[in-house]
Amino acid sequence: MTRRPVFRDGVLRDNPVAVMLVGLCPAAAVTSRVIDAAWMSVGLFFVLLLTRLCQAILHALRAPDLSEPPAPGAPPQTSVFPLRPRWLGSLLLSSCFTAAFELILLAFAPSESASLGIYVPLLAVNCLVLERFQRSGPEDEPESPVRVIARSLREAAGLGAGFAICLVAISLVRELLGSGTITLFAAGSFGGTIEVGGLSSVPVRALTYGGGGLLCLGYLAGFARLLGRRKRRSGATEAGRS
Amino acid sequence: MADVHQDTRPASLVVSPAPHVTGSASSARLSWSVAFCLLPAAAWGVFLFGVPALGVLGVAVAASLAAELLAGLAARRVTIGDGSAIVTGLLVGMLMPPGVPLYVPAAASGFGIIVAKQSFGGLGRNWMNPALAGVVVALLSWSDGMSRWLPVRSAAPTVTAVPPLEALRNALTAGAPRGGALEMLRASGYPWSGMDSSVVGWVNTHVLSLFGWHLPGGCFDLLVGNISGTIGGTSVPLLLLGAALLLSRRVIRWQLPVTYLAIFCLAAQVFGGLPAGGGWFVGNMLFQVFSGGGLVLGAFFMATDPVTSPLTRTGQLAYGLCLGVLTFFLRTFGSLGDGVPLAILLGNCLSPLIDRFTRPAFPTQRKAAPG
Repeated sequence: MTRRPVFRDGVLRDNPVAVMLVGLCPAAAVTSRVIDAAWMSVGLFFVLLLTRLCQAILHALRAPDLSEPPAPGAPPQTSVFPLRPRWLGSLLLSSCFTAAFELILLAFAPSESASLGIYVPLLAVNCLVLERFQRSGPEDEPESPVRVIARSLREAAGLGAGFAICLVAISLVRELLGSGTITLFAAGSFGGTIEVGGLSSVPVRALTYGGGGLLCLGYLAGFARLLGRRKRRSGATEAGRS
Repeated sequence: MADVHQDTRPASLVVSPAPHVTGSASSARLSWSVAFCLLPAAAWGVFLFGVPALGVLGVAVAASLAAELLAGLAARRVTIGDGSAIVTGLLVGMLMPPGVPLYVPAAASGFGIIVAKQSFGGLGRNWMNPALAGVVVALLSWSDGMSRWLPVRSAAPTVTAVPPLEALRNALTAGAPRGGALEMLRASGYPWSGMDSSVVGWVNTHVLSLFGWHLPGGCFDLLVGNISGTIGGTSVPLLLLGAALLLSRRVIRWQLPVTYLAIFCLAAQVFGGLPAGGGWFVGNMLFQVFSGGGLVLGAFFMATDPVTSPLTRTGQLAYGLCLGVLTFFLRTFGSLGDGVPLAILLGNCLSPLIDRFTRPAFPTQRKAAPG
């Protein structure tokens, strides 16, 4: 079994926003300020990682023991987490962690919670989270439970990081050009907002609307494809593809 | 005839697949003729508003050419020679108010060329009109700069310049006594020119009084385009002159603009009086056409863009219908300019759908169809 660079794939080859084009609702909706995009990325990272961890644990519980071959004629392994209700269970897990993140946000950053609005609860049904559920099927080749868990954690972390990079990049462009500011975390005497002289007086307001988000997203995806094509041509990633 | 068989080496025999079309039309030639036909109205704008208008037009065209060159260099396919960038820049400039800060036309042209046209693959592959895309982004982004109107050259310098359409809208929101468009403008003290009052007065006393008719003030200004407005949209007669040239050279077809204007006029006449508290059929369609927006400019020079409008004649009729209705609604109930740029952009989105429904059938299919 070749060991795939799952973390790097999540950031580059399978980048959720720029390449796979999933989970676009938050990418277009909450990227008009950098801080919104950053909190959204944290939220997705949190939910994705914990959901995937629990799912991997449940998945690993039913994995056959590799140390001894299955006895001939033995009944097939019954899964703790069988295929059909898997969606239901996964949705339950992601809902739990989303609710937890929502409460954390309400407790420690109430203004941010108001600013993100409905998009935090919607994390539970984010396409990215659901897409991962579908991928980790029980037909995966048997692995030791620890490896399954470790791999899925790396994968979730890679996807979360790829999502975060794209969201922050989009929001940087949109906020810088659309409002002439960069809003970050307030710390000490720093109020949290950097104003860019010249741009903040006559910003390209159109970029702060939803259409501006889609425009930046389109350019990001196009840029990613261009990079991918150039890389493929040079054959650098050919070995990494399975 | 015997010679034909003797000479086995024909001098010039071109072997090519169908269609075998010969003619001098090329996209560069079409672009240049559109640009030429836009010139009278643009020159009128420069005459009316002076140097600022010339600056806006110049910056728009220069930025458009620069963007085309940059995008061409980036894609290693420089298409600056086809003249379409000049048309785009000219249209952007003509849709701007004359007092607009110069970064607005520059940004609008750049956006139109780079984002709306070259990002999709250049001329012929853009699904929306580049000039209109730039103008709509400017309207959304710099609404303040996009409403810096200048008074016409004959007006006193103390006059605050507002296009008639905008003045009417302001009067409506201010709760002025309701009535017809020109009556409301007169009640709000709209400054028509001195020439207008003398011409209209002369016509009223010497001609129309014989029939017992009476023209309200402002008719002459509106007719010749001696009004505040966008640089290229004020003079309807000069725009129609350019359009007539294009029609006679068969660069554009009449179906689309005529349907567009007819449907818009019908809607304006039937429903136009409703927002002003009047009944049905009391709207003023002529005022709506002549009031210095981009309607005539858009109908003849932008809606007819061969890349973004439907291909068949039936499709163009349907397209004109959609544009007329959209323009009326966006102008009456919208807040973004005079409704024409947004209406045509929305129409651009519908264009592929219209093409799909009006695709001509092959003769065999026609025969098979019942009835």
